[in-house]
Amino acid sequence: MNHVLQYIPGNSVIHRMNPVTKLLLTIIICVCAFMTDNLFFLLGLLAVDLMIGFVAGVAGRTLKIFRGLLMIAAFLFILQALLTRRGTPVFWIITDEGLMGAGRVVLRLIVVCMPLALVLAVTRISDLTNALVQHLHVPYQYAFTLATAIRFIPQFLEEMNGIMEAQTARGVAFDQARGLKKFSMILPLCAPLLISSVRRTDQTAVAAEVRGFRLRTRASAYRRYTFTALDAATFLFCALLLAGAILIR
Amino acid sequence: MIEIQDLSFTYQDEKKPALEGISLSLREGDFLGIIGPAGAGKTTLGRAISGIVPHHYKGDFYGSVTVGGMDTVDSSLIDISRLVGMVFQDVDSQIICPTVEDELLYGLENFGIGRDEIPERIGFALGKVGIPELRERSIGSLSGGQRQKVAIASVIALKPRVLVLDEPTGELDPQSSRQVFTLLRELNEEFGITIVVIEQKIMLLCEFARRLLVLNEGKAVHEGETRQVLSHAEDLENIGVNIPRVATLSRALSRKTGKEIPVCINLDEAEKTARGLMA
Ligand SMILES: Nc1ncnc2c1ncn2[C@@H]1O[C@H](COP(=O)(O)OP(=O)(O)OP(=O)(O)O)[C@@H](O)[C@H]1O
Ligand SMILES: [Mg+2]
Repeated sequence: MNHVLQYIPGNSVIHRMNPVTKLLLTIIICVCAFMTDNLFFLLGLLAVDLMIGFVAGVAGRTLKIFRGLLMIAAFLFILQALLTRRGTPVFWIITDEGLMGAGRVVLRLIVVCMPLALVLAVTRISDLTNALVQHLHVPYQYAFTLATAIRFIPQFLEEMNGIMEAQTARGVAFDQARGLKKFSMILPLCAPLLISSVRRTDQTAVAAEVRGFRLRTRASAYRRYTFTALDAATFLFCALLLAGAILIR
Repeated sequence: MIEIQDLSFTYQDEKKPALEGISLSLREGDFLGIIGPAGAGKTTLGRAISGIVPHHYKGDFYGSVTVGGMDTVDSSLIDISRLVGMVFQDVDSQIICPTVEDELLYGLENFGIGRDEIPERIGFALGKVGIPELRERSIGSLSGGQRQKVAIASVIALKPRVLVLDEPTGELDPQSSRQVFTLLRELNEEFGITIVVIEQKIMLLCEFARRLLVLNEGKAVHEGETRQVLSHAEDLENIGVNIPRVATLSRALSRKTGKEIPVCINLDEAEKTARGLMA
């Protein structure tokens, strides 16, 4: 089981950054993507995304996410281009403004989603929550809830696969169905899956409780998350990105 | 260490009681095995000892459970959990953190174990279950058996006085299962930790547990010293608990020869008995 959100251990500069810094960088990239309308600046941000993935030594995962997003993006691009009525026609009912607009939407989507997925690949969720609790004073209970929710996604998918395999063994042809048909076949399976998830989450809650969940305070975390020169440099980079987004709209 | 008096428990919204009239008394340093068919109430009893019943799972609770002098109903779950560690039957729901090291850190951090003591505790626990090399791994990349060992390690790192394990070898191969029981014996003998282990593999219980409790439909069928419980072979077979073949054999011999033969629980004993009979 190697899920797209699963942590990949490593010792790159990105791995060594303070989790808060990584989160800040992610947020700044997202903010910039929404502030600017400039296609080239968006492409620049995309390059930054890819570079982060490569520097972190998770090129494989980066490209996998990129490819996944491209597929969604292609669909959105066509939709957006067809639906835009403004501008001068270039080809059939497609206008230049439609193309530009679609390009922006799609690029923005990729630029925003990439770092969100990547940050989980290069940061342990527990480091993220610990650092949020330590530096940003997020109440531990909230941080824990978020972390648990993220942790359960792969498990949920794994169970879903298990159920689908079991149904396939009984002659249900999931693999031949496509699109809506497949969706309507999967939907009824979600209810039992949700029930078993709720039961399981409940047990995880007990497991946390008997290992002192309620005793945990801001000072509990064993690992400490300091800010280093690396983080300072990243802050500077964030400021530059932001300034760029304001200047190059 | 553990005193259970006439315990009955029915889960909320259930009609049938999960446990009925259970009484049990364990001294510090005892090693109890619990066995019984599916739905017998084994897990529920484990939960009652660790206070999860009735603190988390609500229902009708009659009788009393006292652990280390604390009445589990009157004490808070936190106070009980400082004393009792529990390894759950469903390992995946027990694991909270995304990596092995984090999972071990979790309880240690929360219970306020000193920073200088933490590395030693982690090393101890991982070493004991034999997975020091998995320390940095993410949970998702582990096999079921490895995850089971992580779950056990995360509880023994806390060095509880009482250790409750709910089918801790369910995902393990025979060799690893033995390893886990050997570890339990070590913890029991070296540190005097009281062990309560729910287990289906009767051979392991025969070899390692000093006392046995047989549950069926919420009631205690037999309770006592392992050998003595095994002498009630028919009762056990009737509820679907298979007893070791050596035990069956020694009983059959006893019936056939009309002599009083003690129940054998391993091959060595059986050999000795057979030689004795032939002499
Ligand atoms: N959370 C719960 N809510 C309601 N009823 C429950 C709950 N957990 C267990 N029960 C019921 O209590 C009874 C005893 O269950 P328990 O899990 O203790 O059995 P068990 O001996 O551990 O079985 P297994 O060998 O399958 O693990 C069963 O009838 C079960 O349906
Ligand atoms: Mg059970």
